[in-house]
Amino acid sequence: MSIIIISSDSRNVEEEMAKRVADAKGFDIVDCRVLEDVAKDCNVDPGILEKALENTPSILKKMPQARWRYYLSCIEAEVLERLRRDNVVCWGVAAHLYVIGVSHAMKVRLISGSARRAASIAELQGTSMNIARKWVDDEEKRRKKWSLSAYGIDETSPSIYDLVINLDQIDPDEAVGTIIEAVGYRKFRPVTYSVKCLSDLAIAARVRAELLRSMKDIRVQARDGTVIVFVKGSGREKVKKSRAIKEIAGKIDGVSFVEVHVKRNITDAEGMESPDRSRYPGWPVIGKTSHDVDKAAN
Amino acid sequence: MAIITISRGSFSMGRLVAEKVAERLGYDIISREILLEASRHFNIPEIKLEKAIHDAPGILERYRHTKQAYIAYIRSALVERVVNDNVVYHGLAGHLLLKGIGHVLKVRINADFEKRVAYVMNRDGLSEDEARARLVEDDNQRRKWTYELYGHDPWDSAMYDLTIRIDRLSIEEAVGFICKAAQSSGFTASERSKQNLKDLALACHVKAELVADFPNIGVTCEYGNVIVYCKAGDRGGAKLGRRLDELKRKLAGIYSVEMHSGVPAPPDAV
Repeated sequence: MSIIIISSDSRNVEEEMAKRVADAKGFDIVDCRVLEDVAKDCNVDPGILEKALENTPSILKKMPQARWRYYLSCIEAEVLERLRRDNVVCWGVAAHLYVIGVSHAMKVRLISGSARRAASIAELQGTSMNIARKWVDDEEKRRKKWSLSAYGIDETSPSIYDLVINLDQIDPDEAVGTIIEAVGYRKFRPVTYSVKCLSDLAIAARVRAELLRSMKDIRVQARDGTVIVFVKGSGREKVKKSRAIKEIAGKIDGVSFVEVHVKRNITDAEGMESPDRSRYPGWPVIGKTSHDVDKAAN
Repeated sequence: MAIITISRGSFSMGRLVAEKVAERLGYDIISREILLEASRHFNIPEIKLEKAIHDAPGILERYRHTKQAYIAYIRSALVERVVNDNVVYHGLAGHLLLKGIGHVLKVRINADFEKRVAYVMNRDGLSEDEARARLVEDDNQRRKWTYELYGHDPWDSAMYDLTIRIDRLSIEEAVGFICKAAQSSGFTASERSKQNLKDLALACHVKAELVADFPNIGVTCEYGNVIVYCKAGDRGGAKLGRRLDELKRKLAGIYSVEMHSGVPAPPDAV
């Protein structure tokens, strides 16, 4: 009864290892196939959602920031909902970046090594090692930039994973064995509190996704059905926004009370993040604002 | 039959894990003794060696090359000590000092920063700000040291075989992971990797003997055949040649010594 989230510097490794772990444990897989369902809900092409998971917002690529955040929030909401079923191996949908504070979700990073990846790319594409190496380096930089822009977290940092396994010398079979053994440990078993944390995260993500359809710069916290929404606004629009948010959020399953905080500026140092974290300690926060993107890029 | 290096940030319980791994596998455990051995062998005060492996090089040291010399002594003592396998080393920079040897399992232990702060506050009776400042300073020194001397970030998990976040596991569970990995086929000492280690030990020994007078040399060794790389037109060339002849007579295991002047040292040279 656990969740295993697998991330890797190589998509092929991520997919292969996730399948092997899922087969060995008899777990379901949550992967980019969820994008088809998300696409139906958002009424967009699944390819656009794939692009949102790969690229940072860009006007040239016809992906404005508000839409990008909306698409990501929809993916996040769907993935979190599926993770609530437990006994799941998840890969390819950036879950390692937004499943935070859920103790029964074990996060594993598998490193295939840039040299090995460059060699396989050089062989597959028939290019020189120098070109392949540059491609791998650029790819790593791009992924790092994406994770920082989308969630303010560097996905290459080992601090966000429970276990990082380098496949240079450790055989994939042994890595699978290690992951399976680890997930059986007491600390990765679901307990009432961790299951509740995941439910709260899922509700917060669902509310945010619904709100981002028509608004931007939204952050949501949820606990036991109570939802607190932070949004940017001032003057006359305060009352209007607050009413609209309460109406939209109130309709979502599992939401019993909605509190809205409309602030003139949620991006300054005195803004929402630190004071609100201290006001509601332990409440999961869902959502990054445009300010976070700028901060990460700098 | 492996060598295990355990790297960790300060107050990350790495020592405890190392002790338990060594106990479970019946391996020797080494850490600070390496500094003592290097100090005794090369007649350098231990405090200087400790400073060399802890603090990042200052501006003057970059020109004097003292730090590189001290690290060459420490590396030589360490490689000499692990050459017979079945060792757990939990001192500083083991993953870098033993780089290139196939049967070395490189482990990194990370702990949550806030938990480390709490541990330091509790252990040393410091305020939260003091504990935080101390850990930040310590981590920065580590990062700077590794960058200056090896061009790597110690937090880069690509440098390790296994990176474990200790605060989500019990000590026993972390020990279990490491022991299992150490006993896997990838870390079994082959004849080739044992020979590589012997060659590394010899190259490190030669470098340590010469580094005080010739700080910019690079040394490689293959099956006892030692090659020393130095700059072209080096005025000390004749002196270096004489020293190499002396070393050939003095050190066991050297079959031949060659001096390559003006040839860039290969990346695996020590």
